[in-house]
Amino acid sequence: MTAVPAVRRGYPRYLAGRLAEYLTVLLVALTLNFALPRALPGGPLKLFGSPEALARLTADERAQIATEYGFGRPLHEQFLDYLTGVFTLDLGTSLTDGRPVTQALADALPWTLLLVGTSTVVTAALGVTLGVAGALRRRRGKGSGLLGAAVVADSIPQFWLGMLLIVLFGVKLQVLPTYGVSGPDGTTVGGVLQHLVLPVTTLTVTGMGYLFLYTRSSLLTVLTSEPVQHAHARGVPYGRLVRRHALRPALLPVHTILMLEIGFLAAGAIVVETVFAYPGLGRLTFDAITARDYPLMQGAFLVLTVLVVVMNALADATYPLLDPRARTGGHS
Amino acid sequence: MTLNVRDLSVRYGGLAALSQVSLDLADGEVLALVGESGCGKTTLARTLLGLLPATAEASGSALLGGHELVGRTDWAGVRGARVATVPQGAMTGLSPVHRVGAQLAEMLALHGGAADPAGLLERVGLAPAMLGSYPHELSGGQRQRVAIALALAGEPELLVADEPTTGLDAIAQRQILALLAGLGTSTLIVSHDLAGLRPYADRMAVMYAGRLAEVRPARALSPGTAHPYTAGLLTATPVADRDVAWGSIPGSAPALGQPPPGCAFAARCPLAADRCHEERPALVAFGEAQVACHRHAERERPSYPNVPRTDGLPGDVVVSAAGVRHTYRSRSRVVEALRDVDLEIRAGEIVGLVGESGSGKSTLARILLGLIRPTSGHVTLEGRRLTAGRALRLLRRRIGFVHQDPYDSLHPGMRVAALVAEPMTVAGVPRGQRPARVRESLTAAGLPDDPEFLGRFPGQLSGGQRQRVSIARALAGGPALLIADEATSMLDVSTRAGIATTLRALATERGLAVLLVTHDLGEAVQSCDRILVLRAGQVVEHGRTDDVARAPAHAYTTRLLEASAALPDGGSL
Amino acid sequence: MLLKAPRRKLLGRQGLIGCGGLFAIVAIALYGLALPDEAGRERVAEPYAAPRAGLPLGSDDLGRDLLDQLVVGAGTSLSLAFIVAAATTLLAAVIGGAAGIGPRWLSVTLMRGADVLLILPELILYILAAAFLGQSFGVRTAILALILWPVPARVLRAGVLTAWSRGHLEVSRAMGAPAWWLLARHGTYLIGPLLIPVFVRTAKVAIVYDATLSFLGLGDPTSPSWGTTLYWVQTNGVFLSDAWLWWALPPGAAIMLTVLCLALIGVAVEERLNPALREAVR
Repeated sequence: MTAVPAVRRGYPRYLAGRLAEYLTVLLVALTLNFALPRALPGGPLKLFGSPEALARLTADERAQIATEYGFGRPLHEQFLDYLTGVFTLDLGTSLTDGRPVTQALADALPWTLLLVGTSTVVTAALGVTLGVAGALRRRRGKGSGLLGAAVVADSIPQFWLGMLLIVLFGVKLQVLPTYGVSGPDGTTVGGVLQHLVLPVTTLTVTGMGYLFLYTRSSLLTVLTSEPVQHAHARGVPYGRLVRRHALRPALLPVHTILMLEIGFLAAGAIVVETVFAYPGLGRLTFDAITARDYPLMQGAFLVLTVLVVVMNALADATYPLLDPRARTGGHS
Repeated sequence: MTLNVRDLSVRYGGLAALSQVSLDLADGEVLALVGESGCGKTTLARTLLGLLPATAEASGSALLGGHELVGRTDWAGVRGARVATVPQGAMTGLSPVHRVGAQLAEMLALHGGAADPAGLLERVGLAPAMLGSYPHELSGGQRQRVAIALALAGEPELLVADEPTTGLDAIAQRQILALLAGLGTSTLIVSHDLAGLRPYADRMAVMYAGRLAEVRPARALSPGTAHPYTAGLLTATPVADRDVAWGSIPGSAPALGQPPPGCAFAARCPLAADRCHEERPALVAFGEAQVACHRHAERERPSYPNVPRTDGLPGDVVVSAAGVRHTYRSRSRVVEALRDVDLEIRAGEIVGLVGESGSGKSTLARILLGLIRPTSGHVTLEGRRLTAGRALRLLRRRIGFVHQDPYDSLHPGMRVAALVAEPMTVAGVPRGQRPARVRESLTAAGLPDDPEFLGRFPGQLSGGQRQRVSIARALAGGPALLIADEATSMLDVSTRAGIATTLRALATERGLAVLLVTHDLGEAVQSCDRILVLRAGQVVEHGRTDDVARAPAHAYTTRLLEASAALPDGGSL
Repeated sequence: MLLKAPRRKLLGRQGLIGCGGLFAIVAIALYGLALPDEAGRERVAEPYAAPRAGLPLGSDDLGRDLLDQLVVGAGTSLSLAFIVAAATTLLAAVIGGAAGIGPRWLSVTLMRGADVLLILPELILYILAAAFLGQSFGVRTAILALILWPVPARVLRAGVLTAWSRGHLEVSRAMGAPAWWLLARHGTYLIGPLLIPVFVRTAKVAIVYDATLSFLGLGDPTSPSWGTTLYWVQTNGVFLSDAWLWWALPPGAAIMLTVLCLALIGVAVEERLNPALREAVR
């Protein structure tokens, strides 16, 4: 196919618009991260230890911490300091083990990327495929077993499914590892993959229900739309009608849902990593919550949020490849 | 013969939509199948294409070059290759995510056509450069041409075009019809527009209530010889010529599945005799035509009520707009919807506002209704400015509004009585006064005012009745100005003139100032005292109707006049 | 033509099952709300007791009655879900409505705001906010409502835009009807049906998110809830013994059943609102 000049005119503009939006999202995320500790009942000092430890602090010590961390200074100066910290990757020190927060995050990030990345691919592939199958079955007036299964899967709480999987595969059948990422013979590729099975299953089962429902409904809508009905009237056979005429328009809105799905899976990582003691950002978050280690908690949240925003931006940049109307600025 | 249809009947869930239709189509012939909504013409077209819904039962036969189309389950090698369609609403019917070239290539590959995509485009009058375009980059007329090219790809013996000009402006409509007529392929054009198709078809078939009323060569079709219903359809199509009367057929078509025992048209026919009500007429040959009418051999001609012409002089100015401009932003560009429009309507006067879609006519109507604030300029109603807030709301009560869409403008959950009373409820008219005014408004709008009718929901009314309820509602508020926005455009042809007659009566008897917004210059010429022609937000023509129709000042008006159902033989019927 | 469309039932079989199930759970929850304050909080047996007569689901590590925790938890979960759903629906209706019929600048601001919030993951925001702002019932409800409005607001804005372009509403506006009349007479009819799926979806999400929060140990430690019970399951490693049968299974199943009932109602209503899903035949 030959390229029409109009195709190139629209794309950079589209990207620029989306980029501006994502920068706003990042700014909002940073602001929330900055503001929430300062809205803490009992003041930001609470960030520096358990209530018992704080109660033992003398007035002088309190004043010293306040000066050192600048809590007494005007908010906008504090915010600037905070932003400087974020961009120089200085997120403070963990209260539990005294490690720099950045270090702890850097150790955990690859595991979460592996978990969330794998889950996204598996969820998208399964959810969309089954959604298409469900829509075609519905079209032929067949039963709605897939629909029922999807609604049930969509209703299971992640942490509970994780526990049941541990009981079944770890305790009863003893076929799959349920804890961490390394087996008795250290961290091996095979071991890591084995350890990935149950967490990814948990995320996929609970995450693909919505994607299934959305794909199914979208394809059913497109199959009754005018372009597809007209193609049918022109003698396009059913299989080709679905593959070539209905699928692409039907998957356009699914693409948007996939972006919401990424957020869902990243949040799910907190839960699933906790259940399976997986050494990623989620587990780090849970430990930080349990120990009330606020600097670490904040750092973990920030990285998770940035992760979601970046994955969204990547997904978004591919949208015009699917929809020519987004490229050339036509009506959608 | 390309196509032989014999005794074709189609029922939906037991209700007959098509009864005993027999029709032939010669090689290369263009046959126009004409009728109003619900007459069965689309059902016939869908039967030929195998696109009936699963609930339909078809019987009879339709032979296309030896292939039986009725009851066929395997359409491979037939649909697209032997019988192809130019579907209704091709504006949105092309695949939005594929280029024109790819869509043509798909059709050629599927149906084994020998042509090349560029050649197909040239056949429908498009440049080969458009192969690389996406449908959203083309105009409506261009998209319809692409749809025709897609239909031609399989070199079909028969082309079925279902309302192929829906959504196109008057000038593009004629171009598309001329293109279809000049293809040389046997074509069945299904349409509601009898007069518009006459110049392009070889033969006309008129349907009423699921049966053929008349089949006749197009050149021989005239009000002097036709079936009473055909004659009614001809007089019901407004012509942009004040010397030709515009009439309506009273009543409305019978409901699906409830055919009367005799002739289905008898209840509305001015010529109906006792026999017509008892015995159904068969389609019999009269010379080169076939007609289903008991009284066809007699020379008596039906006469239908016509829209009256103006008498008397208009009164004081009711509404005036001065220097109205309207601009708005769409994406990043500024659109000038209206540029310096002046307008004045006097009491008892009907002013026509004519323009194609996008001309700004609806925007102007909404500015006069106070629904949109103009960017600059102002509107004065009975000496007071339309501004904003409470003052505007009070002033709006002096304006009645008849909305374009009778199926959307009535709240489906309200009864006729409550619908008509709404302006009074809103204005806080004492409850005791409301019922009397509701009845009086219904009568003025040409509707019954008995309790049974007052208790009906919109779902139990016909399109024409709905639009009259809309008029009654507008009257109940006691308006000085009535704005009818395309009030007849969604109605069946046969009832449109009836609505125009009612509007005329309201203008003369009540001294209402009426603004009639329409895309149809013929309708405006027939029913208005003065006409404004809008184009791209500017008034290009303004004058008394007689002057505009006889000697238009602007070339655009001349083109509209030519496109407005004027007949090739000079227009006299 | 005077054909009347056949009347459709509001809910199909699935919807009725969903409604029935939900009524049963609500009844249990009401019973749970009526129980005395110490139910599920007090030590009534030895720790880790197995089920027996008078203690159908055994006890937890502190000897508290697990059945009591389940029943009281139903009250907490459902009241939080319904309050959040009502608040969110109201908030979304106000924001979506304002974005739909308000001036352009307001519409653009609100919808851009919704877009930004949409990209931020809801659950992560909820955990973060609850960690810093506190975990009492009121705070959790408020945070959830503030986080969950963007999706419903977009749905309702689209609904309002469609409604505002409908003929009978425009005619009513043109006759000078005040805003309350437009809303009461025409708006409720057009937008009302959209509120049911919005409410159901929000209730569903609220139950799951709140249970997740409790499961992570951020719940209200003073009141028993399904998530909190499962938090103790996790920290005590209960699923290594047979105790998971009566300790871990019931609260998770309760969450799943509640969400499932809501989802069935939601799917049933949405199928009836989406004409493409209605048409099953080709």
